[in-house]
Amino acid sequence: MVIDERLPYAPYPAPAGTAVAAPPAPIASGGGVGPWFLARANLGVLIDLLREDGRTVIGPAVVDGAVTLAEVRSVDELPAGVGDEQVPGRYRLVQRGDRRVFDFAVGPTSPKRWTFPPVVPLNVGRRDGRAVSFEPSPIDPPRLAFLGVRACELAALGIQDRVFLGGPYTDEDYHARRRNALVVAVNCTTAASTCFCTSMGTGPEARGGYDLVLTELDEGFVIRAGSPDGADLVARMPVRGADAGQMLRAAESVGKVAAMMGDPVPTAGLHDRLLAQFDSQHWSRIAERCLSCANCTMVCPTCFCSSVTQRSDLDGDVSTSERVWDFCFTAGFAKVAGGSFRSRPRDRYRQWLTHKFATWVDQFGTFGCVGCGRCIAWCPVGIDIRAELLSIAPPLGARPEPVRPKPVAATPGFYATARIVSVRPETADVTTLTIGDVDPAFLAGEFGQFAMVAVPAFPPVPISISRFGRDTIDLTIRAAGPATAAIIGLGPRDEIGVRGPLGTSWPIERAMGHDVVIVTGGIGLAPLRPLLDGIIARRDRFETVRLFYGARTPADQLYREELRAWAARGDVEVELIVDRGTPDWTGPVGVVTHLFDQATWDGEHALAFVCGPERMMEATVETLESRGLPPDRIFVTLERHMECGIGLCGHCQTGGLFVCRDGPVFALSQLGGIFGREGM
Amino acid sequence: MTLPAPSEFAGADLALALSGSWFGAGLTPEAVTRLAAIAEVRDLVPGDVVVAEGQVAETLGIVLSGRIALRMLVPERGTVTILTVEPGDVVGWSAVVAPYRGTDDAVAIEPVRLLTFSGERLRLLLRADPLLAASLYPRLLQSVGRRLAATRMQLLDLFAREEWVRSETKQW
Repeated sequence: MVIDERLPYAPYPAPAGTAVAAPPAPIASGGGVGPWFLARANLGVLIDLLREDGRTVIGPAVVDGAVTLAEVRSVDELPAGVGDEQVPGRYRLVQRGDRRVFDFAVGPTSPKRWTFPPVVPLNVGRRDGRAVSFEPSPIDPPRLAFLGVRACELAALGIQDRVFLGGPYTDEDYHARRRNALVVAVNCTTAASTCFCTSMGTGPEARGGYDLVLTELDEGFVIRAGSPDGADLVARMPVRGADAGQMLRAAESVGKVAAMMGDPVPTAGLHDRLLAQFDSQHWSRIAERCLSCANCTMVCPTCFCSSVTQRSDLDGDVSTSERVWDFCFTAGFAKVAGGSFRSRPRDRYRQWLTHKFATWVDQFGTFGCVGCGRCIAWCPVGIDIRAELLSIAPPLGARPEPVRPKPVAATPGFYATARIVSVRPETADVTTLTIGDVDPAFLAGEFGQFAMVAVPAFPPVPISISRFGRDTIDLTIRAAGPATAAIIGLGPRDEIGVRGPLGTSWPIERAMGHDVVIVTGGIGLAPLRPLLDGIIARRDRFETVRLFYGARTPADQLYREELRAWAARGDVEVELIVDRGTPDWTGPVGVVTHLFDQATWDGEHALAFVCGPERMMEATVETLESRGLPPDRIFVTLERHMECGIGLCGHCQTGGLFVCRDGPVFALSQLGGIFGREGM
Repeated sequence: MTLPAPSEFAGADLALALSGSWFGAGLTPEAVTRLAAIAEVRDLVPGDVVVAEGQVAETLGIVLSGRIALRMLVPERGTVTILTVEPGDVVGWSAVVAPYRGTDDAVAIEPVRLLTFSGERLRLLLRADPLLAASLYPRLLQSVGRRLAATRMQLLDLFAREEWVRSETKQW
């Protein structure tokens, strides 16, 4: 897999136990073959050279009682003679008598802090009367040189390369930062009790992804180059060829570290073993200790989830959007209008652990863990993931098939503007906006896709496209919070920001020649309206068409005139039901399945399209299955917390799926055990 | 379409009407024959009450056409429709289960054609004929169970308006 030809490195090899290729051979430099030897007294030359090249050197330094990463201006700032003791829940520095500067295991900070910073500006949104504008923040990262990057951290950079650069959408900020950073790696000659890179197949020896790699000996460093830039640096340094004794001692010291770690996490079959344990009691036992503090994800060098926050001036006319780290352990992470999908700590821990060691493999072809052990040392209650993984047992589980996302839309922060043409209230809290002046990509969107909609000073919200017109689209929006309330408070000629269309669509082509059953509730009718439009436009291509629509009360029904018009056609069966009747309502009262659980039609030749609250969809699916519909002909939409809409921010994950990118429309058969399972 | 008057239904028609309904389709042919023998067809006009809450339930009915609302009265709130009974389903199951009193008002809200069984005669028949009882009770239980499950779903109030949530107002 070539992640990006413009990056100076071959992609880091995938950890053992996952697919992908053998490690790349080190690149021989033009100036010689190496390895070379750099005397300890000359290490400062390397730092000076990097600084002369205009790079800020980020290397190890003692800050607040830990070896962390910080700007290093001279060799004297390196942590000479400093070591560490790390056990679950504990980290302490120790002083040795020697002058070695890399003889410690990784501290809490990794290069991620610079390649994927905790806060990155995305855009500045402005409102001027009715007009709005979004000015993307410039991407202009500093030239950096990382000094002392360990093998596990190189692997982590390789994993984040896959996440941010290896998919259908790329993170341009990450890309620029990564291209602007030079990497000087160090092979580990010591390990903490928390280290397990040997199990994850990432260390202790750097196997690629660096410009230079050092192995520390008492008298100096054995150096190899891994890229033309690295070879160029060596050519400017006072080095000589390393002798056989130095090479042997370097290899031995690294080999000794590997032997010390052993193989504490056997990874063979781990993916399937873990996925078979969704219902294990063990998650509850872990949750009794877990504080949901998110320390583990903050120190993790691969965790990539983020959110977008807004900071605005007092009148809301100018606001800055920033991407900030977010964590699957926080209460708001999986929240949607109506509640959180992972309200319990055990659900969050399960999400995190199964992602790292199982579903990450489905998504990116590699584990999401590199074995650095940070999450073990920095867990305030000392939860040791190695022990937790060992406590979880075998059998094999089924896996959902990944779906190819549709290549549309832009990166977060970049919004196209569009203009509201008309506003139509549907119910007390639902409004349909008709949007004009939209990018043609929207008009070419597919039924069931959604848009990220933004106004300055509010977080963008995912909204289903509820109609594709000739040169407009409809967005039907319920006031579920300040952002949606602000959007539906706008009027004709006001502008909004839009990204999209995003996500998967209802497979209308597959339904041709079949009976069509559409079951929906509440605002769930909105994403299905384009499907109905499409079916009615080519009505002769479909057999019977039935629409079953449930709402809370008659006044909560969307598109009431259109429902009447569809029913009046005579070739679409429209049945409506309400949870609470009013005195003048003479139609059915009850739940939506009440409309067809005693009907006589069978579903053998039908495709079903279902959208509504997940609990309603579960009941619907049961009833449909009892009518003979197999899971591959029942399509549902999932609702999850979406921030980026393109599978990069991590919020909407469920199992191995990103709902925004792989969904929101799924065949039931794709979801396997995910559908209807609490806490996913 | 003009329907035959209720009195014009003969035994074979009654059996056909019964076995053609969702409820009757789950019964054995013998059970259908025996039940049809004590069945009558009744036509209701909107407002007719089949069963009254708290009162003795005189009849078990199977809706052949039209719609019946199951309603409960709440003082100062008026009557609330809990559920509607659609064609194929039963109304008045209380007529065969002690204490034989209605659990809500069953009121026709459309012209309704109902296949009815006198509760008293039906109970005698079921007591005397365990095979018939074994055929009828599971279907009755299925219908009541489905109603219970549906009521639970309604209780969840899935479409209720949510409070503004934190995900939109605060990051974490």
